[in-house]
Amino acid sequence: MGSRDSDGTTGPAAVKILIAGGFGVGKTTMVGAVSEVDPLRTEEYLTEASVGVDDTGGLASKATTTVALDFGRITINPELVVYLFGTPGQERFWFMWNDLVNGALGAVVLVDTRRLEVSFASIDFFESRGIPFVVGVNCFHGRCERTTEEVRDALDLDPEVPLLMGDVRKQEVGRNLLLALIDLLMARTAPVGASSST
Amino acid sequence: MSHWTDRLESDDAEDSLVRPYTITRGRTAPQRDDLTLITVVTAVESGDGRAAARRLEPEHRAILEQCREPVAVAEIAAELDLPVSVTKILIGDLASLGKVTIRPPLAAERSGGLNMDILQAVRDGLQRL
Repeated sequence: MGSRDSDGTTGPAAVKILIAGGFGVGKTTMVGAVSEVDPLRTEEYLTEASVGVDDTGGLASKATTTVALDFGRITINPELVVYLFGTPGQERFWFMWNDLVNGALGAVVLVDTRRLEVSFASIDFFESRGIPFVVGVNCFHGRCERTTEEVRDALDLDPEVPLLMGDVRKQEVGRNLLLALIDLLMARTAPVGASSST
Repeated sequence: MSHWTDRLESDDAEDSLVRPYTITRGRTAPQRDDLTLITVVTAVESGDGRAAARRLEPEHRAILEQCREPVAVAEIAAELDLPVSVTKILIGDLASLGKVTIRPPLAAERSGGLNMDILQAVRDGLQRL
């Protein structure tokens, strides 16, 4: 069911949240655990030459790769849908996928304590772009071998970045990560929103 | 001595890349640049279906079928099993023919932050999961 606005547009408005982290940290698992549909898969052609440029003209003549991403959906109400995009494994390519990154509310970066380093690039990326994010420590099979303090230290996380631990196969773990991100966004929005004209 | 067809053969490696663009008649960029992964597309109900549909590719018709209910560009691409950029070109065609309406996403604004009401709505929705 969609809405019909006075300007003639129809359907719900959409927002997106990125689920990032290195290869094999459980991104698609988390998307599947909280999405109302089985994760969908789509792909895009990206070229080295498209860095910072939206125009994809001349695509075929440049070094090109195909990246795939898995995504899911949470319908909030008839007016609003949240899309969750698991970022593709090939990090150096999705970092320049402007359409994927632009306009995201924020991100959940998943880490695996046995291989923290595979998620370093995602954390650096969101920090450098000023995109709000939370960190989820995926405790595979319910076992977490490190404390939150140890992981924070190892990741050199800013104190204000929320960090939660849990098995992302469980819906409530993914949901709590998303709630932590929304709370972070609300905390940042509040002082500005108070004086906002909208 | 090289023959001019040698150069054509060297392009074979790119076949898998080029082929999807035959659906778009060779176009590699959409007519409109405002389509994003989460732009919501909805088919416009119209009585002139037959005549206009004759000019459409099968992929165009598949999109119209899919977006009878509002659906995001990424979902259309996934269903068609086509790259997002190719899907955007096809959706752009339908928009310029007035066959679909386009709803831009609610983006996180660079300055000023996001509307508090929207964040609260998302929060409430997540808690109902």
